[in-house]
Amino acid sequence: MIEAQVSVLDQVDGSAQVTCGTTSVICSVTGPIEPKARQELPSQLALEVVVRPSKGVPNTREKLMEDQIRGVLTPVLVRYLYPRQLCQVCFQILESGEPEQEHSVKELNCCINAAYLALIDAGIALKSSFSSVCMAVLPQSSEIVVNPVTQQLQQSNSTHLVAIQVGQGGQKAESVLLAESNGSFDQQLFLDVLSTGEKECIKVALELRKIVENKIQKDFVWRG
Amino acid sequence: MAKDIEISTSEAKFLVEALKQNQRLDGRGFDELRDVKIELGRDYGDVTVSMGKTRVHCRISCEITQPYEDRPFEGLFFISTEISPMAGPQFENGNNTGEDEIMCARIIEKAVRRSGALDVEGLCIVAGSKCWAVRADVHFLNCDGGFIDASCIAVMTGLLHFKKPDISVSGEQITVHSIEEREPVPLGVLHIPICVSFSFFNPEDTEENIKGDSNNEIAIIDATLKEELLRDGTLTVTLNKNREVVQVSKAGGLPMDALMLMDCCHKAYKITETLTEQILSKLKEDSEGRNKYAAMLSSENNRQM
Amino acid sequence: MGSLIIPGDELHINKDSSVIQGPGVYCEPKSQRFIPVNAGIEMITDSKKGQTVYVDFNSRRYVPALGDLVVGTISGSFSDSYRVSLANFSTPVTLSYMAFPNASKKNRPTLKVGDLVYARVSNAEKELEAEIECLDSTTGKDVGYGLLDGGFVVDISLAYARELLFNSEFPLLHIIAKYTQFEVAIGVNGKVWIKCDDAKSTLACYRSIVECQSTPVGEYKRLIAANFKEITNAME
Repeated sequence: MIEAQVSVLDQVDGSAQVTCGTTSVICSVTGPIEPKARQELPSQLALEVVVRPSKGVPNTREKLMEDQIRGVLTPVLVRYLYPRQLCQVCFQILESGEPEQEHSVKELNCCINAAYLALIDAGIALKSSFSSVCMAVLPQSSEIVVNPVTQQLQQSNSTHLVAIQVGQGGQKAESVLLAESNGSFDQQLFLDVLSTGEKECIKVALELRKIVENKIQKDFVWRG
Repeated sequence: MAKDIEISTSEAKFLVEALKQNQRLDGRGFDELRDVKIELGRDYGDVTVSMGKTRVHCRISCEITQPYEDRPFEGLFFISTEISPMAGPQFENGNNTGEDEIMCARIIEKAVRRSGALDVEGLCIVAGSKCWAVRADVHFLNCDGGFIDASCIAVMTGLLHFKKPDISVSGEQITVHSIEEREPVPLGVLHIPICVSFSFFNPEDTEENIKGDSNNEIAIIDATLKEELLRDGTLTVTLNKNREVVQVSKAGGLPMDALMLMDCCHKAYKITETLTEQILSKLKEDSEGRNKYAAMLSSENNRQM
Repeated sequence: MGSLIIPGDELHINKDSSVIQGPGVYCEPKSQRFIPVNAGIEMITDSKKGQTVYVDFNSRRYVPALGDLVVGTISGSFSDSYRVSLANFSTPVTLSYMAFPNASKKNRPTLKVGDLVYARVSNAEKELEAEIECLDSTTGKDVGYGLLDGGFVVDISLAYARELLFNSEFPLLHIIAKYTQFEVAIGVNGKVWIKCDDAKSTLACYRSIVECQSTPVGEYKRLIAANFKEITNAME
């Protein structure tokens, strides 16, 4: 489901390229580094998130994504370990894989998973692992489709993204970091989406774990 | 640029010392280009170019808009070259006012747009009211020197690879046909400019170079980031395979004589030839992969002599 | 060797005995629970005092820690101290003029901006600017720190730098020593300074170290031999 390469860039401290279906994102992490005076926080790590679209200039859509990603990353970073430091997280969408004007779930989903791998690669302290999944609810059948394709997105009544903090060796979902929904749906449907999202997130977390394991083996290749 | 990369004096001295002994850090010859790798994406106009560790992604897109009033018969063409901190923390997001960044943007602009590499008249749909606007978004992913050279290859490959949706016009009414409905049409590319950058190092004291007659500067092609940071001067030559010089850009640095410039142009021409060949063969390979039945439908056959 | 661990996993520690925490382990202020915060290999050693636990992980950005040996570049000088950069874009650290052997108010060190120094981290509180010193502060004697003249710096990953410094059995430098004489200073901030008699050998060392980072130990001999052969051939 997820294809990923870690440490793809070498000017930054950590990076990951994640491809999920037709969506492809590259993420870079640099930190802890010296912040500019206006970014500095006296007791904790400051976070700079930059999202750049594949076509055109960044606008409000990308700003919103930046904010959503910041919301996911802030609670999982061990921020008090790096007072007066800065962490730069940049995303470059390589392939959107969805109609950009109407949707952003697939890009956002890829970004969050890429951010996890890049942060791990950079060695920035994290309280726990996290993963995300995107879903679309089809009309009539109310079927919840995980990782929808463009056609399903366009037909759907609503689209959802769930990002979850995963603990206990990737077995247990601890808390919801982000639940982003768009479209019309009722309470019951939302609860269904959440529980599907939880299951799928754990699956994704296991995949991410394998990728991290491979990375660590590669890091210590000279020991072999 | 936000903050500069710091390089110690020892490193700077050693690099020049090694160059004097005909050695570069990565073991390349002075006139040797790094291996250029071109990857084409699933969509038309999605190109990633790698030169050593330098990596540039380019995405071509288009939309219908209104032409400029003073140029009613021409379509629009933009190249966006914004550098984000992804390429390296020395770049600041949304603030590309540094000398290097502007230099890079200007040279690419001149090489591709102002050299008329793209036929903008072919983008006109209805004179004075509707035309295509083509956009090339260059994304710098990893900075290890040679941004100008790599992005020029990326933009040109992108333009050659890109196809815009077919349209039909009846009066003022325009119908855009989706890719599934009608075969999209390629852009009109008139020539393929290739940038080759040289970096100069002065093996002697600065004073000697200004006063003395000796001109024994070391010129290397395709500098890495470390070499770029330590160089004394730079020269970018843009050529196409028809032996036309599109631009020669030498901003600052050491004075150079005409012979040396000619010599650089000759070296650049050789590189231009191989790169053009590489771009075209890559595109051919891609179009063959996309259209498996073309070979079967073609009337071309192996003739026996 | 320990097992693989990533953030969100449980540390395999005995809850009853006391814990000495190392890098990659964080004590949550609210629950007072120890959690791993980096992905790497979990290392636990038991001793009489308690159990020492840390996560061995690789990264590229150096964060100063007390007692570390580092290679830094002087990036500025003030009335009583130098400003030293241990990694590009990181917060610089301070090197006091008094942190040199035989230092006094009159006897000032003579380092210039751009010089390389080998030093030890003497203060690394995360809230404060880190400090480094060029002497053994317990005896006040010169123990080989200070200016690194000439040579070249190789940037490597932090885990590899630690291996080179702490594992004296590690074959890389031993194999290089068969081909050339060299001086070396290894900083755990991922910088290795190396200096040979001539530039060619230094260059061969540079390439060998860079390449060996992503190569299994078994192939070091062949790789290093190839690098030195290439450079001698180029000379002729």
